[in-house]
Amino acid sequence: MSEPVVEIKNLSYTYDQQKVLDGINLTVNQGEFLGIVGPNGSGKSTLVKCILGFLKPQQGSISVFGKPVGKQDGSRIGYVSQKANSFNSGFPATVKEVVASGLYGKLGLFRRMTKKHMEQVERAIAQVGLTSYKDHNIGKLSGGQQQRAFIARALVADPDLLVLDEPTVGIDAKTTEQFYGLLRRLHQEEGLTLIMVTHDIGAVSSVVDQVACLNRHLFYHGDPAGFEQRQQEILTLAYGHDLQVVSHYH
Amino acid sequence: MIEVIMQYEWMQNAFYAGMIIGFISPLVGVYLVVRRMSLIADALSHVTLSGVAAGMLLQKELPLFYAVNPLYVGMVFSVTGSLFMEQIRRLYKTFEEIAIPIILSGGIGLGVVLISAADGFNVDIAGYLFGNILAVGRDELWLMAAIGVIVVLFVCIFYKEMFALSFDEDHAVLAGIPRKWINFLFIVMVALVIAASIRVVGILLVSALMTIPVAASLQFTNSFRQTLIWSVVFSQLAVFSGLFAAYYLDWASGGTIVLVSILILLIVLFVKKVMRMMKLGNLL
Repeated sequence: MSEPVVEIKNLSYTYDQQKVLDGINLTVNQGEFLGIVGPNGSGKSTLVKCILGFLKPQQGSISVFGKPVGKQDGSRIGYVSQKANSFNSGFPATVKEVVASGLYGKLGLFRRMTKKHMEQVERAIAQVGLTSYKDHNIGKLSGGQQQRAFIARALVADPDLLVLDEPTVGIDAKTTEQFYGLLRRLHQEEGLTLIMVTHDIGAVSSVVDQVACLNRHLFYHGDPAGFEQRQQEILTLAYGHDLQVVSHYH
Repeated sequence: MIEVIMQYEWMQNAFYAGMIIGFISPLVGVYLVVRRMSLIADALSHVTLSGVAAGMLLQKELPLFYAVNPLYVGMVFSVTGSLFMEQIRRLYKTFEEIAIPIILSGGIGLGVVLISAADGFNVDIAGYLFGNILAVGRDELWLMAAIGVIVVLFVCIFYKEMFALSFDEDHAVLAGIPRKWINFLFIVMVALVIAASIRVVGILLVSALMTIPVAASLQFTNSFRQTLIWSVVFSQLAVFSGLFAAYYLDWASGGTIVLVSILILLIVLFVKKVMRMMKLGNLL
Protein backbone atom coordinates (compact mmCIF):
# COMPACT_ATOMS: atom_id res chain seq x y z
CA MET A 1 0.00 0.00 0.00
CA SER A 2 1.51 3.32 -1.06
CA GLU A 3 1.41 6.14 1.45
CA PRO A 4 -1.07 8.99 1.00
CA VAL A 5 0.41 12.24 -0.28
CA VAL A 6 -2.77 14.27 0.13
CA GLU A 7 -5.55 13.37 2.55
CA ILE A 8 -8.72 15.44 2.54
CA LYS A 9 -11.30 14.75 5.21
CA ASN A 10 -14.82 16.18 5.30
CA LEU A 11 -13.71 19.45 3.68
CA SER A 12 -16.15 22.34 3.25
CA TYR A 13 -15.40 25.80 1.92
CA THR A 14 -17.77 28.78 1.91
CA TYR A 15 -17.31 31.96 -0.16
CA ASP A 16 -19.59 34.81 0.94
CA GLN A 17 -22.14 32.46 2.51
CA GLN A 18 -22.13 30.24 -0.56
CA LYS A 19 -20.86 26.75 -0.08
CA VAL A 20 -18.55 25.86 -2.96
CA LEU A 21 -17.16 22.67 -1.47
CA ASP A 22 -19.24 20.40 0.72
CA GLY A 23 -18.11 17.31 2.60
CA ILE A 24 -15.22 16.38 0.32
CA ASN A 25 -13.25 13.25 1.22
CA LEU A 26 -10.37 12.49 -1.12
CA THR A 27 -7.03 10.72 -0.88
CA VAL A 28 -4.19 10.96 -3.37
CA ASN A 29 -1.59 8.21 -2.98
CA GLN A 30 2.04 8.35 -3.88
CA GLY A 31 2.69 7.92 -7.59
CA GLU A 32 -0.91 8.64 -8.60
CA PHE A 33 -1.97 11.05 -11.32
CA LEU A 34 -5.31 12.54 -10.31
CA GLY A 35 -7.41 14.55 -12.74
CA ILE A 36 -10.03 16.81 -11.17
CA VAL A 37 -12.90 17.64 -13.53
CA GLY A 38 -16.12 19.56 -13.07
CA PRO A 39 -18.12 22.47 -14.54
CA ASN A 40 -17.16 26.14 -14.17
CA GLY A 41 -17.55 27.32 -10.60
CA SER A 42 -17.63 23.75 -9.30
CA GLY A 43 -14.95 24.44 -6.71
CA LYS A 44 -12.05 22.73 -8.54
CA SER A 45 -9.67 25.64 -8.20
CA THR A 46 -10.86 26.29 -4.64
CA LEU A 47 -9.98 22.72 -3.75
CA VAL A 48 -6.50 23.13 -5.22
CA LYS A 49 -6.02 26.43 -3.40
CA CYS A 50 -6.96 24.72 -0.15
CA ILE A 51 -4.46 21.92 -0.81
CA LEU A 52 -1.74 24.51 -1.48
CA GLY A 53 -2.68 26.52 1.60
CA PHE A 54 -3.72 29.71 -0.25
CA LEU A 55 -7.23 29.32 1.22
CA LYS A 56 -8.20 28.15 4.69
CA PRO A 57 -11.20 25.83 4.76
CA GLN A 58 -13.90 26.54 7.37
CA GLN A 59 -14.51 22.87 8.01
CA GLY A 60 -12.61 19.62 7.67
CA SER A 61 -8.92 18.95 7.35
CA ILE A 62 -6.26 18.53 4.71
CA SER A 63 -2.90 16.95 5.26
CA VAL A 64 -0.11 16.90 2.72
CA PHE A 65 2.81 14.50 3.27
CA GLY A 66 1.23 13.58 6.60
CA LYS A 67 1.28 17.13 7.99
CA PRO A 68 -1.43 19.80 8.11
CA VAL A 69 -1.32 22.26 5.16
CA GLY A 70 1.30 24.97 5.65
CA LYS A 71 3.41 22.89 8.02
CA GLN A 72 5.32 20.98 5.34
CA ASP A 73 8.40 21.93 3.40
CA GLY A 74 6.97 24.06 0.56
CA SER A 75 9.63 22.98 -1.89
CA ARG A 76 8.21 19.44 -1.93
CA ILE A 77 5.19 20.82 -3.79
CA GLY A 78 5.49 22.13 -7.35
CA TYR A 79 2.68 24.35 -8.59
CA VAL A 80 1.75 25.42 -12.11
CA SER A 81 -1.12 27.88 -12.27
CA GLN A 82 -3.25 29.12 -15.15
CA LYS A 83 -0.76 30.89 -17.35
CA ALA A 84 -2.80 34.00 -17.98
CA ASN A 85 -3.09 35.02 -14.34
CA SER A 86 0.34 34.18 -13.12
CA PHE A 87 2.60 36.84 -14.56
CA ASN A 88 2.96 40.14 -16.35
CA SER A 89 4.14 39.38 -19.90
CA GLY A 90 6.27 42.51 -20.01
CA PHE A 91 8.35 41.34 -17.07
CA PRO A 92 12.06 41.49 -17.89
CA ALA A 93 13.18 37.94 -17.14
CA THR A 94 14.72 35.13 -19.14
CA VAL A 95 13.54 31.51 -19.03
CA LYS A 96 16.67 30.69 -17.02
CA GLU A 97 15.95 33.37 -14.42
CA VAL A 98 12.33 32.23 -14.04
CA VAL A 99 13.25 28.56 -13.73
CA ALA A 100 16.00 29.40 -11.22
CA SER A 101 13.43 31.21 -9.06
CA GLY A 102 11.87 27.78 -8.43
CA LEU A 103 14.91 26.99 -6.30
CA TYR A 104 14.91 30.15 -4.18
CA GLY A 105 12.46 28.91 -1.54
CA LYS A 106 14.37 25.66 -1.03
CA LEU A 107 17.70 27.50 -0.98
CA GLY A 108 16.55 29.75 1.86
CA LEU A 109 17.57 33.25 2.87
CA PHE A 110 21.18 34.42 2.78
CA ARG A 111 22.31 31.59 0.50
CA ARG A 112 23.53 32.11 -3.02
CA MET A 113 23.07 30.03 -6.15
CA THR A 114 26.07 27.79 -6.77
CA LYS A 115 27.30 26.13 -9.95
CA LYS A 116 25.52 22.95 -8.88
CA HIS A 117 22.22 24.85 -8.62
CA MET A 118 22.72 26.34 -12.08
CA GLU A 119 23.27 22.83 -13.47
CA GLN A 120 19.99 21.79 -11.86
CA VAL A 121 18.32 24.74 -13.62
CA GLU A 122 19.83 23.72 -16.98
CA ARG A 123 18.61 20.15 -16.44
CA ALA A 124 15.04 21.23 -15.68
CA ILE A 125 15.04 23.43 -18.80
CA ALA A 126 16.31 20.50 -20.89
CA GLN A 127 13.64 18.24 -19.37
CA VAL A 128 10.88 20.41 -20.86
CA GLY A 129 12.78 20.89 -24.13
CA LEU A 130 13.48 24.61 -23.86
CA THR A 131 17.29 24.59 -23.89
CA SER A 132 17.54 26.67 -27.05
CA TYR A 133 15.22 29.27 -25.50
CA LYS A 134 16.88 29.53 -22.10
CA ASP A 135 18.16 33.09 -22.61
CA HIS A 136 14.97 34.34 -24.28
CA ASN A 137 12.61 36.72 -22.54
CA ILE A 138 9.76 34.68 -21.07
CA GLY A 139 7.09 37.12 -22.26
CA LYS A 140 8.16 36.66 -25.88
CA LEU A 141 7.62 32.89 -25.93
CA SER A 142 4.43 31.18 -27.12
CA GLY A 143 1.79 30.15 -24.57
CA GLY A 144 2.84 26.50 -24.72
CA GLN A 145 6.52 27.35 -24.27
CA GLN A 146 5.71 29.60 -21.32
CA GLN A 147 3.73 26.81 -19.72
CA ARG A 148 6.67 24.44 -20.19
CA ALA A 149 8.96 27.01 -18.57
CA PHE A 150 6.61 27.10 -15.57
CA ILE A 151 6.68 23.30 -15.39
CA ALA A 152 10.48 23.52 -15.35
CA ARG A 153 10.28 26.07 -12.54
CA ALA A 154 8.09 23.65 -10.59
CA LEU A 155 10.39 20.69 -11.34
CA VAL A 156 13.72 22.34 -10.59
CA ALA A 157 13.34 21.99 -6.82
CA ASP A 158 12.70 18.26 -7.34
CA PRO A 159 9.18 18.18 -5.81
CA ASP A 160 7.35 15.06 -4.73
CA LEU A 161 3.96 16.43 -5.75
CA LEU A 162 3.10 18.53 -8.80
CA VAL A 163 -0.18 20.48 -8.77
CA LEU A 164 -1.47 21.94 -12.04
CA ASP A 165 -4.49 24.26 -12.23
CA GLU A 166 -5.97 24.22 -15.75
CA PRO A 167 -2.53 24.30 -17.36
CA THR A 168 -3.79 24.07 -20.93
CA VAL A 169 -6.19 27.03 -20.96
CA GLY A 170 -5.45 29.18 -24.01
CA ILE A 171 -3.06 26.68 -25.59
CA ASP A 172 -3.78 25.09 -28.98
CA ALA A 173 -4.68 21.41 -29.36
CA LYS A 174 -1.34 20.23 -30.75
CA THR A 175 0.66 21.92 -27.98
CA THR A 176 -1.78 20.54 -25.42
CA GLU A 177 -1.10 17.01 -26.70
CA GLN A 178 2.67 17.56 -26.37
CA PHE A 179 2.09 18.95 -22.92
CA TYR A 180 0.15 15.87 -21.84
CA GLY A 181 2.98 13.76 -23.25
CA LEU A 182 5.40 15.56 -20.96
CA LEU A 183 3.14 15.01 -17.94
CA ARG A 184 2.74 11.33 -18.80
CA ARG A 185 6.52 10.94 -18.97
CA LEU A 186 6.99 12.67 -15.60
CA HIS A 187 4.38 10.40 -14.08
CA GLN A 188 5.44 7.11 -15.60
CA GLU A 189 9.21 7.51 -15.78
CA GLU A 190 9.91 9.69 -12.76
CA GLY A 191 7.07 8.38 -10.59
CA LEU A 192 5.92 11.90 -9.73
CA THR A 193 2.56 12.33 -7.96
CA LEU A 194 0.38 14.74 -9.95
CA ILE A 195 -2.91 16.56 -9.40
CA MET A 196 -4.34 18.34 -12.43
CA VAL A 197 -7.48 20.45 -12.56
CA THR A 198 -8.92 20.55 -16.06
CA HIS A 199 -11.92 21.35 -18.19
CA ASP A 200 -10.87 18.77 -20.69
CA ILE A 201 -12.89 15.70 -19.65
CA GLY A 202 -11.98 13.76 -22.78
CA ALA A 203 -8.25 14.15 -22.28
CA VAL A 204 -8.31 13.29 -18.63
CA SER A 205 -9.03 9.62 -19.19
CA SER A 206 -6.08 9.30 -21.55
CA VAL A 207 -3.40 10.69 -19.21
CA VAL A 208 -4.51 10.27 -15.61
CA ASP A 209 -4.94 7.13 -13.54
CA GLN A 210 -7.50 8.56 -11.11
CA VAL A 211 -10.45 10.85 -11.83
CA ALA A 212 -12.34 13.03 -9.37
CA CYS A 213 -15.53 14.62 -10.66
CA LEU A 214 -16.52 17.60 -8.59
CA ASN A 215 -19.38 20.06 -8.33
CA ARG A 216 -19.59 21.21 -4.73
CA HIS A 217 -19.82 17.52 -3.79
CA LEU A 218 -17.53 14.79 -5.00
CA PHE A 219 -19.55 12.81 -7.56
CA TYR A 220 -16.96 10.30 -8.59
CA HIS A 221 -13.51 9.20 -7.49
CA GLY A 222 -11.91 6.20 -9.10
CA ASP A 223 -10.10 4.97 -12.18
CA PRO A 224 -10.76 6.40 -15.65
CA ALA A 225 -12.28 3.11 -16.90
CA GLY A 226 -15.00 3.26 -14.27
CA PHE A 227 -15.50 6.95 -15.02
CA GLU A 228 -15.92 6.27 -18.74
CA GLN A 229 -18.35 3.45 -18.08
CA ARG A 230 -20.63 5.60 -15.93
CA GLN A 231 -19.69 8.88 -17.60
CA GLN A 232 -23.16 10.00 -18.73
CA GLU A 233 -24.69 9.21 -15.36
CA ILE A 234 -21.93 10.98 -13.38
CA LEU A 235 -21.83 14.03 -15.64
CA THR A 236 -25.59 14.42 -15.59
CA LEU A 237 -25.45 14.36 -11.82
CA ALA A 238 -22.51 16.75 -11.60
CA TYR A 239 -23.32 19.11 -14.47
CA GLY A 240 -27.07 18.91 -14.13
CA HIS A 241 -27.66 18.16 -17.82
CA ASP A 242 -26.55 15.82 -20.62
CA LEU A 243 -23.10 16.51 -21.93
CA GLN A 244 -21.29 15.63 -25.12
CA VAL A 245 -17.75 14.54 -24.44
CA VAL A 246 -15.08 14.74 -27.13
CA SER A 247 -12.72 11.82 -26.81
CA HIS A 248 -9.00 11.98 -27.52
CA TYR A 249 -7.48 8.98 -29.23
CA HIS A 250 -3.83 8.17 -28.85
CA MET B 1 37.05 70.63 -16.80
CA ILE B 2 36.34 68.18 -14.00
CA GLU B 3 39.35 69.46 -12.05
CA VAL B 4 38.04 73.01 -12.17
CA ILE B 5 34.68 71.94 -10.82
CA MET B 6 36.04 69.57 -8.22
CA GLN B 7 38.16 72.19 -6.48
CA TYR B 8 35.07 73.44 -4.66
CA GLU B 9 33.86 71.38 -1.73
CA TRP B 10 30.20 72.01 -2.54
CA MET B 11 30.74 70.73 -6.05
CA GLN B 12 32.50 67.64 -4.71
CA ASN B 13 29.55 67.04 -2.39
CA ALA B 14 27.18 67.46 -5.32
CA PHE B 15 29.03 64.85 -7.37
CA TYR B 16 29.24 62.30 -4.61
CA ALA B 17 25.57 62.86 -3.71
CA GLY B 18 24.61 62.47 -7.36
CA MET B 19 26.62 59.29 -7.67
CA ILE B 20 24.95 57.72 -4.62
CA ILE B 21 21.41 58.72 -5.56
CA GLY B 22 21.96 57.80 -9.21
CA PHE B 23 22.96 54.34 -8.03
CA ILE B 24 20.31 53.48 -5.45
CA SER B 25 17.24 55.10 -7.02
CA PRO B 26 17.01 52.77 -10.04
CA LEU B 27 18.03 49.85 -7.83
CA VAL B 28 14.78 50.05 -5.85
CA GLY B 29 13.00 51.58 -8.85
CA VAL B 30 13.32 48.41 -10.93
CA TYR B 31 11.28 46.50 -8.35
CA LEU B 32 8.71 49.29 -8.08
CA VAL B 33 8.24 49.36 -11.86
CA VAL B 34 7.96 45.61 -12.45
CA ARG B 35 5.57 45.30 -9.50
CA ARG B 36 3.49 48.20 -10.89
CA MET B 37 4.08 50.27 -7.80
CA SER B 38 5.80 53.26 -9.46
CA LEU B 39 3.43 55.80 -7.96
CA ILE B 40 4.21 54.72 -4.41
CA ALA B 41 7.43 56.71 -4.57
CA ASP B 42 5.42 59.84 -5.38
CA ALA B 43 3.03 59.28 -2.50
CA LEU B 44 5.86 58.73 -0.03
CA SER B 45 7.77 61.77 -1.26
CA HIS B 46 4.79 63.95 -0.33
CA VAL B 47 4.75 62.40 3.12
CA THR B 48 8.44 63.25 3.38
CA LEU B 49 7.53 66.86 2.59
CA SER B 50 5.22 66.97 5.59
CA GLY B 51 8.04 65.49 7.67
CA VAL B 52 10.48 68.13 6.46
CA ALA B 53 7.90 70.83 7.28
CA ALA B 54 7.42 69.29 10.74
CA GLY B 55 11.17 69.30 11.20
CA MET B 56 11.39 72.95 10.29
CA LEU B 57 8.55 73.80 12.63
CA LEU B 58 10.26 71.95 15.48
CA GLN B 59 13.51 73.76 14.68
CA LYS B 60 11.71 77.09 14.88
CA GLU B 61 9.66 76.43 18.01
CA LEU B 62 11.82 74.13 20.15
CA PRO B 63 15.47 75.00 20.83
CA LEU B 64 16.12 71.31 21.47
CA PHE B 65 15.58 70.57 17.78
CA TYR B 66 17.64 73.48 16.53
CA ALA B 67 20.51 71.28 15.40
CA VAL B 68 18.31 68.51 13.96
CA ASN B 69 18.27 68.46 10.16
CA PRO B 70 14.61 68.53 8.99
CA LEU B 71 15.57 65.77 6.56
CA TYR B 72 15.81 63.32 9.49
CA VAL B 73 12.23 64.12 10.52
CA GLY B 74 11.27 63.74 6.86
CA MET B 75 12.85 60.30 6.87
CA VAL B 76 10.89 59.23 9.96
CA PHE B 77 7.65 60.44 8.33
CA SER B 78 8.47 58.66 5.09
CA VAL B 79 9.07 55.32 6.83
CA THR B 80 5.90 55.76 8.93
CA GLY B 81 3.98 56.63 5.75
CA SER B 82 5.25 53.45 4.10
CA LEU B 83 3.88 51.40 7.00
CA PHE B 84 0.47 53.06 6.66
CA MET B 85 0.60 52.36 2.94
CA GLU B 86 1.10 48.63 3.55
CA GLN B 87 -1.82 48.63 6.00
CA ILE B 88 -4.17 50.35 3.52
CA ARG B 89 -3.04 48.03 0.73
CA ARG B 90 -3.95 45.09 2.93
CA LEU B 91 -7.34 46.59 3.82
CA TYR B 92 -8.29 47.14 0.15
CA LYS B 93 -6.84 44.03 -1.43
CA THR B 94 -8.67 44.43 -4.72
CA PHE B 95 -8.05 48.19 -4.98
CA GLU B 96 -4.46 48.35 -3.81
CA GLU B 97 -3.75 51.56 -5.72
CA ILE B 98 -6.25 53.44 -3.55
CA ALA B 99 -3.51 53.63 -0.92
CA ILE B 100 -1.56 55.99 -3.19
CA PRO B 101 -4.00 58.95 -3.38
CA ILE B 102 -4.84 58.57 0.32
CA ILE B 103 -1.21 58.74 1.43
CA LEU B 104 -0.27 61.33 -1.20
CA SER B 105 -3.02 63.79 -0.33
CA GLY B 106 -2.61 63.09 3.38
CA GLY B 107 1.09 63.93 3.11
CA ILE B 108 0.65 67.12 1.13
CA GLY B 109 -2.31 68.19 3.33
CA LEU B 110 -0.31 67.78 6.51
CA GLY B 111 2.67 69.51 4.90
CA VAL B 112 0.64 72.56 3.90
CA VAL B 113 -0.95 72.78 7.37
CA LEU B 114 2.44 72.57 9.08
CA ILE B 115 3.92 75.24 6.80
CA SER B 116 1.00 77.57 7.47
CA ALA B 117 1.17 76.84 11.23
CA ALA B 118 4.79 77.96 11.18
CA ASP B 119 3.68 81.11 9.38
CA GLY B 120 6.12 80.46 6.56
CA PHE B 121 9.76 79.50 6.94
CA ASN B 122 12.98 81.43 6.82
CA VAL B 123 14.64 78.51 5.14
CA ASP B 124 13.58 78.15 1.56
CA ILE B 125 11.27 75.14 1.29
CA ALA B 126 11.65 75.31 -2.49
CA GLY B 127 15.02 73.61 -2.03
CA TYR B 128 13.15 70.55 -0.82
CA LEU B 129 10.38 70.81 -3.39
CA PHE B 130 12.61 71.05 -6.45
CA GLY B 131 15.94 69.83 -5.11
CA ASN B 132 19.24 71.63 -4.96
CA ILE B 133 22.15 69.27 -5.22
CA LEU B 134 24.61 72.16 -4.95
CA ALA B 135 23.42 72.84 -1.39
CA VAL B 136 24.16 69.34 -0.08
CA GLY B 137 26.27 69.55 3.07
CA ARG B 138 28.87 67.09 4.34
CA ASP B 139 26.54 65.76 7.08
CA GLU B 140 23.83 65.11 4.52
CA LEU B 141 26.34 63.41 2.28
CA TRP B 142 27.23 61.01 5.10
CA LEU B 143 23.52 60.30 5.62
CA MET B 144 23.14 59.51 1.91
CA ALA B 145 26.19 57.26 1.99
CA ALA B 146 24.80 55.34 4.96
CA ILE B 147 21.43 54.90 3.22
CA GLY B 148 23.30 53.89 0.06
CA VAL B 149 25.15 51.12 1.89
CA ILE B 150 21.92 49.85 3.50
CA VAL B 151 20.05 49.76 0.18
CA VAL B 152 22.87 48.03 -1.71
CA LEU B 153 23.14 45.44 1.07
CA PHE B 154 19.38 44.87 0.93
CA VAL B 155 19.41 44.30 -2.84
CA CYS B 156 22.44 41.98 -2.65
CA ILE B 157 21.06 39.91 0.21
CA PHE B 158 17.46 39.65 -0.98
CA TYR B 159 18.04 39.63 -4.74
CA LYS B 160 16.54 36.19 -5.26
CA GLU B 161 13.63 36.66 -2.87
CA MET B 162 12.75 40.04 -4.39
CA PHE B 163 12.90 38.56 -7.89
CA ALA B 164 10.63 35.64 -6.96
CA LEU B 165 8.11 37.89 -5.17
CA SER B 166 8.07 40.40 -8.04
CA PHE B 167 7.64 37.78 -10.75
CA ASP B 168 4.99 35.61 -9.12
CA GLU B 169 3.98 36.29 -5.54
CA ASP B 170 1.76 33.20 -5.11
CA HIS B 171 4.48 30.87 -6.25
CA ALA B 172 7.08 32.56 -4.06
CA VAL B 173 4.85 32.26 -0.99
CA LEU B 174 4.17 28.59 -1.69
CA ALA B 175 7.92 27.99 -1.94
CA GLY B 176 8.27 29.41 1.56
CA ILE B 177 9.62 32.90 0.88
CA PRO B 178 8.59 35.19 3.77
CA ARG B 179 6.52 37.67 1.77
CA LYS B 180 5.35 39.86 4.63
CA TRP B 181 8.60 40.93 6.09
CA ILE B 182 10.55 41.13 2.83
CA ASN B 183 7.82 43.39 1.42
CA PHE B 184 8.00 45.41 4.62
CA LEU B 185 11.79 45.79 4.42
CA PHE B 186 11.51 46.76 0.75
CA ILE B 187 9.01 49.55 1.38
CA VAL B 188 11.26 50.87 4.15
CA MET B 189 14.13 50.89 1.62
CA VAL B 190 11.95 52.91 -0.77
CA ALA B 191 11.20 55.39 2.01
CA LEU B 192 14.92 55.73 2.81
CA VAL B 193 15.88 56.29 -0.83
CA ILE B 194 13.24 58.98 -1.14
CA ALA B 195 14.48 60.76 1.94
CA ALA B 196 18.04 60.58 0.61
CA SER B 197 17.23 61.79 -2.88
CA ILE B 198 15.07 64.77 -1.96
CA ARG B 199 18.11 67.07 -1.82
CA VAL B 200 19.15 66.00 -5.30
CA VAL B 201 15.96 66.06 -7.35
CA GLY B 202 13.36 67.37 -4.91
CA ILE B 203 10.09 65.97 -3.62
CA LEU B 204 8.23 66.66 -6.85
CA LEU B 205 10.75 64.80 -8.98
CA VAL B 206 11.87 62.05 -6.63
CA SER B 207 10.21 59.23 -8.52
CA ALA B 208 11.86 60.28 -11.79
CA LEU B 209 15.22 58.61 -11.14
CA MET B 210 13.43 55.54 -9.84
CA THR B 211 11.32 55.04 -12.94
CA ILE B 212 12.63 56.79 -16.09
CA PRO B 213 15.99 54.94 -16.36
CA VAL B 214 14.10 51.68 -15.76
CA ALA B 215 11.59 52.57 -18.47
CA ALA B 216 14.49 53.15 -20.89
CA SER B 217 16.23 49.86 -20.13
CA LEU B 218 12.98 47.86 -20.30
CA GLN B 219 12.88 48.79 -23.99
CA PHE B 220 15.72 46.49 -24.95
CA THR B 221 16.72 44.15 -22.14
CA ASN B 222 15.77 40.48 -21.92
CA SER B 223 16.82 39.55 -18.44
CA PHE B 224 16.19 41.03 -15.04
CA ARG B 225 19.89 41.36 -14.31
CA GLN B 226 20.45 43.35 -17.52
CA THR B 227 17.53 45.61 -16.67
CA LEU B 228 19.04 46.32 -13.25
CA ILE B 229 22.49 47.11 -14.69
CA TRP B 230 21.29 49.31 -17.55
CA SER B 231 18.92 51.23 -15.26
CA VAL B 232 21.87 52.15 -13.04
CA VAL B 233 24.00 53.09 -16.09
CA PHE B 234 21.29 55.38 -17.50
CA SER B 235 20.64 56.92 -14.12
CA GLN B 236 24.33 57.71 -13.53
CA LEU B 237 24.56 59.16 -17.02
CA ALA B 238 21.54 61.38 -16.35
CA VAL B 239 22.89 62.58 -12.99
CA PHE B 240 26.37 63.45 -14.25
CA SER B 241 25.46 65.03 -17.58
CA GLY B 242 22.53 66.79 -15.90
CA LEU B 243 24.82 68.18 -13.25
CA PHE B 244 27.32 69.45 -15.82
CA ALA B 245 24.58 71.01 -17.91
CA ALA B 246 23.02 72.66 -14.86
CA TYR B 247 26.40 74.08 -13.82
CA TYR B 248 27.27 75.56 -17.21
CA LEU B 249 23.80 76.70 -18.22
CA ASP B 250 22.90 77.86 -14.71
CA TRP B 251 19.72 75.80 -14.70
CA ALA B 252 18.01 74.15 -11.71
CA SER B 253 19.96 70.94 -11.05
CA GLY B 254 17.01 68.65 -10.15
CA GLY B 255 14.97 69.60 -13.19
CA THR B 256 17.96 69.31 -15.54
CA ILE B 257 18.79 65.80 -14.28
CA VAL B 258 15.20 64.68 -14.86
CA LEU B 259 15.10 66.24 -18.33
CA VAL B 260 18.35 64.48 -19.28
CA SER B 261 16.94 61.13 -18.14
CA ILE B 262 13.88 61.73 -20.33
CA LEU B 263 16.21 62.63 -23.20
CA ILE B 264 17.98 59.27 -22.70
CA LEU B 265 14.61 57.50 -22.81
CA LEU B 266 13.73 59.29 -26.07
CA ILE B 267 17.11 58.36 -27.60
CA VAL B 268 16.59 54.71 -26.65
CA LEU B 269 13.11 54.73 -28.20
CA PHE B 270 14.48 56.40 -31.34
CA VAL B 271 17.39 53.94 -31.73
CA LYS B 272 15.02 51.03 -31.22
CA LYS B 273 12.71 52.34 -33.92
CA VAL B 274 15.59 52.92 -36.37
CA MET B 275 16.93 49.41 -35.73
CA ARG B 276 13.50 47.90 -36.30
CA MET B 277 13.15 49.80 -39.58
CA MET B 278 16.60 48.64 -40.69
CA LYS B 279 15.66 45.06 -39.87
CA LEU B 280 12.47 45.40 -41.90
CA GLY B 281 14.48 46.94 -44.75
CA ASN B 282 16.85 43.97 -44.76
CA LEU B 283 13.93 41.57 -44.92
CA LEU B 284 12.36 43.29 -47.91
